[in-house]
Amino acid sequence: MSEENTDPELVSAFKAGDAEALGLLMQRHQAALFGYLLRLTGRRDAAEDLFQEVFLKLVRNPGAYNEREKFKAWLFTVARNAAMDHFRRGSARGEVSLYGDGDKPGPADFTASAEPGPAEAFYGKTEAARIDAALASLSPDQREVFYLRHYSELSFKEIAETLKVPIGTVLARMSRAAARLREKLGGDAQ
Amino acid sequence: MNCEYGEKLILYTYGEAGQGLAAEVEAHLPGCASCRAELAALRAAGGALSAFKAEPSRNTVLAVLRAARAAAEGRRGFRFSWGEALLSGALASAMAFVFAFSGRTAAADLAWNSGLDSGLDSVEYSVYQAQADALSAQGDWEYGLSDLEDESLDFSKNV
Ligand SMILES: [Zn+2]
Repeated sequence: MSEENTDPELVSAFKAGDAEALGLLMQRHQAALFGYLLRLTGRRDAAEDLFQEVFLKLVRNPGAYNEREKFKAWLFTVARNAAMDHFRRGSARGEVSLYGDGDKPGPADFTASAEPGPAEAFYGKTEAARIDAALASLSPDQREVFYLRHYSELSFKEIAETLKVPIGTVLARMSRAAARLREKLGGDAQ
Repeated sequence: MNCEYGEKLILYTYGEAGQGLAAEVEAHLPGCASCRAELAALRAAGGALSAFKAEPSRNTVLAVLRAARAAAEGRRGFRFSWGEALLSGALASAMAFVFAFSGRTAAADLAWNSGLDSGLDSVEYSVYQAQADALSAQGDWEYGLSDLEDESLDFSKNV
């Protein structure tokens, strides 16, 4: 098994007892999946837990993924459902629902934290913070499709299947997200 | 403000518009400041997300890898040994992760994320480093040390 193998091939190899295949698969998708979970939850500890939960699901029951489906679609569907459960558990405990709340504690929290990334180097702290604030101002539905599209790179049709909504709904949410980002990031500057 | 191009603009921005639709949007853009601003905002937001790289911690990655090895071992039965695992690269992968997530610098970060080829180089380099270090300086591993030592011992028995 190597980087050349497709996702379904790596899962098949893991099903046949090749642990390295699972490592390759995780390595291939970890940045996108972790980025998605981190943005969605706004918390590193939650993102770590959910990331582990998603891959452990595959480890314990690789049959849950059928090699005929697109692995990324499966992965992000499982991740999205795990995140939903996480938010439900949080609200059951009386915690603030990160998912259901419009603007706090938003993604701005972790970019401002101990982890200044290349984003800040590239855009400057002010610009990164401005964009984070704009993203945090999206509704949960808008934010979800925006992050899903960005990190999974699934098509809008595949995202519609993942979310079990019509594609028109996905596009409408994206369009409203774009209008909101435009408002927050300024007019026709560019 | 509402020019009815909202969803077409989304398809265009994300490369999902067919040729005809793309041409239609491109003809519309010069006359519509609102759409131009939305396009710019989407690109700025996407660019910021892309520029901000985050990876799971090595402990998270190792926890999954350990579970994967245990599960694979279970599936393959009792004939599995850690020597075999090392030869087949499973342990090497684990070590690559260890290394990729230890002592990270901004430069290493970029190399790790900048594409398949550099990613491969990075992995191969990490494996090499990890193997060299596992033999000489196991004390440098700040976690998972006992596991790695056990595995090394089993490996030397098999050699
Ligand atoms: Zn327009």
